Amino acid sequence: MTAVVDPYVSVHAPGRFLYALNPLAKFAAPVPAIVLLVFVRDLATPLAFLALAYVVLLIGARVTPRLLALLVVALPVAAAVLGLSMSLWTDADRVDRSVAVAQLGAWTLYGGAVEIGFATGLRLAAIVALSLLAGLTTNGPDLVRASVQQLRVPYRIGYTALAAFRFVPRFGHELDVIRQAHRVRGAHGGRGPFAALARWWGYIVPLLAGAIRHAERVALAMDARAFGAHAERTERHLVPWRRRDTVFVALMWAVTIVIAWFFFPWTLR
Amino acid sequence: MTAASPAAADLSATPASAPLLRVRELGIAHDGAPTPTPASASFEVRAGEVVLLLGPSGSGKSTLALALNGLIPQAVPATVTGSVHVAGLDAASTPVAQLSTHVGMVFQDPDAQLVTGTLLDEVAFGPENLLLPASEVLARAEDALRRVGLWERRAENPDRLSGGGRQRLAIACALALGSPLLVLDEPTANLDPAGIEEVYATLGEVVAAGERSILLVEHNLDAVVSITNRVVVLDQQGRTVADGSVDEVLRRRADELHDMGVWLPVSTLAALRLRRAGWHLDPLPLSPDELTAALEAADDPAGAEVGAAAVGAAVVGPGVTSGPGAPASDRAPVVEVRGLDVTRRRTEILHGIDLTVHAGEFVAIVGANGAGKTTLLQAIAGVIPVPKGRVRLGGPQGVDPARADLRGLSRRIGFVFQNPEHQFIAHTVFDELAHGLRRQKLPDEQVRERAHDVLRRFGLDDKADVHPFLLSGGQKRRLSVGTALVAGAPILALDEPTFGQDRARAEELLGLLRELNEAGTTILVVTHDMQLVTEYAHRTIVVGDGRIVADAATAEVFADETLVRAAGLRLPPLRRALQGLARHPQLAGVTRVDDLPGGAE
Amino acid sequence: MATASRLPTRVLLVCAAIGVATGLVGGIAGVLTPVVLATAPFAYGLLLGSHVLPGIIAQEVLRRPLVAILTHLVAALVASAFNPAWAGRFIGTALLFGAIQEGVAALTRYRAWGPWRFFISGGIIGVLVAVVVFFVAHLSALPPWAQIAYLVLSVAGPVAWTALALAIGTALRRAGVARR
Ligand SMILES: Nc1ncnc2c1ncn2[C@@H]1O[C@H](COP(=O)(O)OP(=O)(O)OP(=O)(O)O)[C@@H](O)[C@H]1O
Ligand SMILES: Nc1ncnc2c1ncn2[C@@H]1O[C@H](COP(=O)(O)OP(=O)(O)OP(=O)(O)O)[C@@H](O)[C@H]1O
Ligand SMILES: [Mg+2]
Ligand SMILES: [Mg+2]
Repeated sequence: MTAVVDPYVSVHAPGRFLYALNPLAKFAAPVPAIVLLVFVRDLATPLAFLALAYVVLLIGARVTPRLLALLVVALPVAAAVLGLSMSLWTDADRVDRSVAVAQLGAWTLYGGAVEIGFATGLRLAAIVALSLLAGLTTNGPDLVRASVQQLRVPYRIGYTALAAFRFVPRFGHELDVIRQAHRVRGAHGGRGPFAALARWWGYIVPLLAGAIRHAERVALAMDARAFGAHAERTERHLVPWRRRDTVFVALMWAVTIVIAWFFFPWTLR
Repeated sequence: MTAASPAAADLSATPASAPLLRVRELGIAHDGAPTPTPASASFEVRAGEVVLLLGPSGSGKSTLALALNGLIPQAVPATVTGSVHVAGLDAASTPVAQLSTHVGMVFQDPDAQLVTGTLLDEVAFGPENLLLPASEVLARAEDALRRVGLWERRAENPDRLSGGGRQRLAIACALALGSPLLVLDEPTANLDPAGIEEVYATLGEVVAAGERSILLVEHNLDAVVSITNRVVVLDQQGRTVADGSVDEVLRRRADELHDMGVWLPVSTLAALRLRRAGWHLDPLPLSPDELTAALEAADDPAGAEVGAAAVGAAVVGPGVTSGPGAPASDRAPVVEVRGLDVTRRRTEILHGIDLTVHAGEFVAIVGANGAGKTTLLQAIAGVIPVPKGRVRLGGPQGVDPARADLRGLSRRIGFVFQNPEHQFIAHTVFDELAHGLRRQKLPDEQVRERAHDVLRRFGLDDKADVHPFLLSGGQKRRLSVGTALVAGAPILALDEPTFGQDRARAEELLGLLRELNEAGTTILVVTHDMQLVTEYAHRTIVVGDGRIVADAATAEVFADETLVRAAGLRLPPLRRALQGLARHPQLAGVTRVDDLPGGAE
Repeated sequence: MATASRLPTRVLLVCAAIGVATGLVGGIAGVLTPVVLATAPFAYGLLLGSHVLPGIIAQEVLRRPLVAILTHLVAALVASAFNPAWAGRFIGTALLFGAIQEGVAALTRYRAWGPWRFFISGGIIGVLVAVVVFFVAHLSALPPWAQIAYLVLSVAGPVAWTALALAIGTALRRAGVARR
């Protein structure tokens, strides 16, 4: 089968190992690191995990302009903005005040506050980067298939999720049309946040009502094709759990333990 | 559906020697419905037959179709009396999954039948559910896809198929289940004429192969009579009133069916009318070819004359401007479009459109699926943004939709969307109509008066306090037209007003539009129904690939068959039958049923 | 098949439809998250509260077991497709919120569907979210007033979104969609 550009077909990128892994492996591998990051308070640990995520992504995923933009621009900028704002929000009475970074009248920004702020920014950036391992390299249907095949999620629920992927573009288009229609009829004209809220409120019922009716029709068509006839169904696309999945998860967990051990007790000073 | 996984073969085990389908005095009441429709339907389908199920709108044909594989009452709650037996199995108690190996279904909306991401997965979906071995699944999928001519495209996303292609895919999905009976409920309602032709060519091949039977619910009879063996007719309450061969039912009882409100092929309607004018047409023709042949064989009835209007208006040739009514080219222009390009999501969809519409015209916009008709109509009405200075509404002192505020715009032009539910904004029918008037800051008294006036006119007086979503399909459509009208717009633009409607409702709606048009409203309508275009529109604009490929009086446009076919359209049935008629030159130019002799008794 | 066959295909797909529509809202909330965290971290609860929508609308429309958690999962999948970076967060939130909403409904044996029932789950969600985010975003570093504002808004957020979801359910019923 030739690859077609659409959300259902998996990416074939020779040499990029992330695409060849079971989606569940990509979700399971970073979990311990993410949980650990929730309790970490220093700068070094999140930086180490951030570096780990970048390395795995750059080796294992196809390096597209989108990925580069995410890694080089979006994440660092988000981390910096977040770090700065958290430093400003931090309670100055409870931080290390030995270094004054900036002063504005009676208000002083202390080095301690900056450290706390940037620790938070880095932590969130690291969590996001680790989630990208699975998020960027998995297509929805494969995730659904893996859940059915390995996690024993009932296939009827899995196929519900697959059908949901088909609804997305359709509802997007419906929403466009509803917005045009309401605009033409002059529903809730006017500017400002309240007029906008009233407008969006008017879209909800037609959109959801149309969506539910469509779903009911799809359900009839699926039942008419023997959906749910047996406890299982033939699966032509296998998403197996291979040795490389085990290896990947084990390696990631091992690295997580090493980093955690090395930087313990994960506090600033 | 026992847990002790029965082998797939068990599902198709059938008691021997029963008809494929036997329906006995079937009555179905949806939960909450006061009376059952259908009330009492009885018929059978045997191996190899193609049975056409007819009945007026609301007689319960779709409901009945859902009962044939047990979806009613097993998936849709309803009270069922009488019985349905499929290959000897009781449809009310046998699991739907098991029945699906005996009855394959194709529904009206192609989008609502797609589950997966590629054509091959889609066709494999049914056999996979039956737990067939993967090799068997692939073999069946390949066979089914080849039969409908889609095997080469098996790796594509179904979204990339045309409407007709998607409906052929739905047929392949039903074939892959291996069921000997296919049930199709209005499978071509959303398609352009080329798509309809495609679907029926496919069905014709399936029938010709001989091993499948078909039960078909369809309003567009012109396309189907050629493959039909037998016809079953339900009356308004859903009782079987006729069941027999095409000859017995359609030919011999055509008058009766016509009076009941059942739609007949255009050629048959034309023939009935000619008979009334004294023509001897026996047997009654059912298709354009048969009508041509019957007329060539028939003598002119003594004293019969073609209606004066037809002779004057419908003869095709230079200098003749239009069929219905009077052309309006000497009147003031109300829509002027110059050099219009429309770009959406970085693709140019319309290229250099020029057109002028004069006050009081009735203009049809036609073209294949995806040609850009909707985009054109929406650009004219200011529904989508267009570049400044390209469109002008209301003559030299008029407005440019690109600059005008919406309130001013809605007083110039009313727009009716394809799906009426999209445009409803109030919680009652009355408020829906009052909205446009209140926006004009009219006093309450006048708002009430004018809204009730429209309600009366559209037969909705008793629905004033109902939520618009709770109306029937036809009522919703009328209300949406009412809301566009009530603001007093002199131009009305409608996008596929006959979409998903049966022919009776379509006729009713177009009759209403004609009335408005005669009272001076300018009408622009997008539609796929070529006979309706011929009957109602002064002028036809053919859109193809984002360009206007023809723009002339309706009769003139359809005189050029090459152009019409190239645009993915087909000639309307009556013109196909009458053009080139050698023996009766006075009929050869007639294109509208209304212009035939025999109308006024 | 015991659990699955209790949910007819129609119910499954209606959940999918509601999940897709509300998942789009979740996707938007995901985009706004860094913005809110950067400008007004204590108001984060208001935003996160939007994730109660799928379960409540599904329960209002369908009124049966398991629909809340299922709709949440679909919404999370859809939101993740738009916003892969938040995939883990979406799925975690979905499981947590879905489990709470199912749990509260199960305690009434799926018989009581009064608005109070929905507000109880809204309140519980608020408290739980408050605690979790408190640690993740290290909000103990904020000045006391901001911490209090944060706690109040964390509970108020889900409760307010619950009220909105109930209003949507009522409107759908009036339009004849949730007729069962
Ligand atoms: N889901 C439903 N719930 C309640 N009533 C319904 C439902 N579907 C159809 N009906 C009603 O049942 C009757 C028969 O409808 P049905 O759609 O079967 O008619 P039909 O013969 O297919 O009409 P048409 O030619 O317009 O398609 C109508 O009165 C309709 O309003
Ligand atoms: N909002 C949009 N964004 C991008 N492309 C669009 C948009 N709307 C329409 N198109 C594209 O523009 C082309 C013309 O669409 P349009 O809806 O005008 O066709 P149509 O003639 O009305 O077709 P149909 O008979 O199927 O209704 C199509 O190829 C369609 O995919
Ligand atoms: Mg029908
Ligand atoms: Mg269109």
